[in-house]
Amino acid sequence: MLTYLSRHLQVIFSTLGAMQRTPMASINTVLIIGIALLLPVCLYVTIKSGQALSDNWQGRPQISIFLRADTSASEAALIFNEIRLHPSVQLAELVTPQQALAEFRALSGLDYELKFLDDNPLPHSIVVMPDAGHARSEHLLELQAQLSKIEGIETIRLDLEWTDRFNAILKAAAKLSLVLSALLAVALILIIGNTIKLLIFNRRHEIEITKLVGGTDSFVRRPFLYYGCFYGILGALVSLLLLSGTAHLLQQPMAELAALYQRSQLLYRLGIEEIAIIVLSGAFIGWSAARWSVARHLRQIQPR
Amino acid sequence: MIKLSQVSKQYPNGHLALNKVSFDIPSGEMAFVLGHSGAGKSTLFKLITRMEKPTAGQIIVHDQNLSRMRSSKVPYLRREIGVIFQDHKLLLDRTVFDNVALPLIVIGMPNDEIRKRVRAALGKVGLSGYEKNLPLTLSGGEQQRVGIARAVINRPSILLADEPTGNLDDELSDEIIDIFADFNQVGVTVLIATHDLRQVNRLGSRTIRLEKGEIVQTEATE
Ligand SMILES: Nc1ncnc2c1ncn2[C@@H]1O[C@H](COP(=O)(O)OP(=O)(O)OP(=O)(O)O)[C@@H](O)[C@H]1O
Ligand SMILES: [Mg+2]
Repeated sequence: MLTYLSRHLQVIFSTLGAMQRTPMASINTVLIIGIALLLPVCLYVTIKSGQALSDNWQGRPQISIFLRADTSASEAALIFNEIRLHPSVQLAELVTPQQALAEFRALSGLDYELKFLDDNPLPHSIVVMPDAGHARSEHLLELQAQLSKIEGIETIRLDLEWTDRFNAILKAAAKLSLVLSALLAVALILIIGNTIKLLIFNRRHEIEITKLVGGTDSFVRRPFLYYGCFYGILGALVSLLLLSGTAHLLQQPMAELAALYQRSQLLYRLGIEEIAIIVLSGAFIGWSAARWSVARHLRQIQPR
Repeated sequence: MIKLSQVSKQYPNGHLALNKVSFDIPSGEMAFVLGHSGAGKSTLFKLITRMEKPTAGQIIVHDQNLSRMRSSKVPYLRREIGVIFQDHKLLLDRTVFDNVALPLIVIGMPNDEIRKRVRAALGKVGLSGYEKNLPLTLSGGEQQRVGIARAVINRPSILLADEPTGNLDDELSDEIIDIFADFNQVGVTVLIATHDLRQVNRLGSRTIRLEKGEIVQTEATE
């Protein structure tokens, strides 16, 4: 077992040594892998950031309740009180028709035209913010049903559409990035496979002689599989470096954006498991590429 | 041990290198293969190590029929046969040590055992202290001896030597052939292709004489 391990270590070191001897080819390959991996990784981070943002919105959705037009101010106050005391309501605000009209004036710029209205057509309304524990859409729908039983309410509007639409976009983006990642993996396998092929033919003589003295196919194959793995791992590390560089560049604008949303952190930070998965995927892609290349080319090299 | 019956080898270009060759070398025997350049000596060795396949006939090595041997078994056949190649077939970018150690590395032998064996084998061919040299810094004869050390390092039961003394002076040739004779003494089957009739006469072993791919005479000169 120990021999087996030390044998593998030996192959690993000689592989690293060989990579050092042809630094340009290795660096090029690693860079290509890194850049190619950067795209799906970036997409992933973007989607994750978006999801965090959308979760955050869902935490502070608004419910707008419009009372019937003929509701008097005292009736409105009673209804407002009832809603305010509902257990899943965190915050509620009563908007009188006068306030609503003033706001509408300010927003619409229809100041002049509105002057001709002798009656304020706007009803009383109540803006409700549910507490964090009842922020998911299903809870909101339930809350809406409960509130609608209260006498004097005309309509209740949930601000769900926006987040739903955003989530749908995120889902589509996630699907797209999966497809893209799969295509990139294929491209990477072709690229790494080609580099391995060059390595195989560079070491043709050595392979022939190793076979002559009784080296099995799996022995001859091993260093090339390691090559593939190393390329993949180094490429993944390069893509992570590039990612953190990109994040660094985005830091300033993102901080401004984060301040707008009252959040300290807008960009999703990769966890240790995700980093491990990215590195392992790199290793796996490299290994598969090497496997494929070796299967195609090693058989062609026979001692003469 | 090595048995050929009606073996022919025609290369893809149509050249018939061996024509209906038959012989049987029992285990533990030492024999010389004689013949002019182009007679087919190297081709014969390539067939025995399955570097080439015969176009007709049967080759049996170690009770195994090479025509029916699966290619996954070929490495194990080659581990049983030490070959000294006419063109050395050394790895020029590797040290003498690495070259000689290769047959042990492919079978996964522990490092200290490898070091011991390599030192012993290099001592036997008179190259002690050359471990760190690169092959191209050695003379032709020294390279030849590196090839010999590599061929014997795994203690194979068969030794095939293709012109092992081609580059050596008489004295060194004698030493090298004596090394083969020593291995033969302990039971190794030895087959040597050579032009060097002096060695044949000196040892008086069996000879197989090839001419244009055909056996013209096999005899036990004893
Ligand atoms: N790969 C090949 N393709 C075609 N012809 C070949 C090939 N290898 C050898 N030959 C031919 O087969 C014949 C026998 O070659 P071989 O190498 O066996 O001769 P040899 O007896 O070893 O000669 P030498 O003493 O010069 O080494 C030669 O005529 C050679 O030209
Ligand atoms: Mg020859």
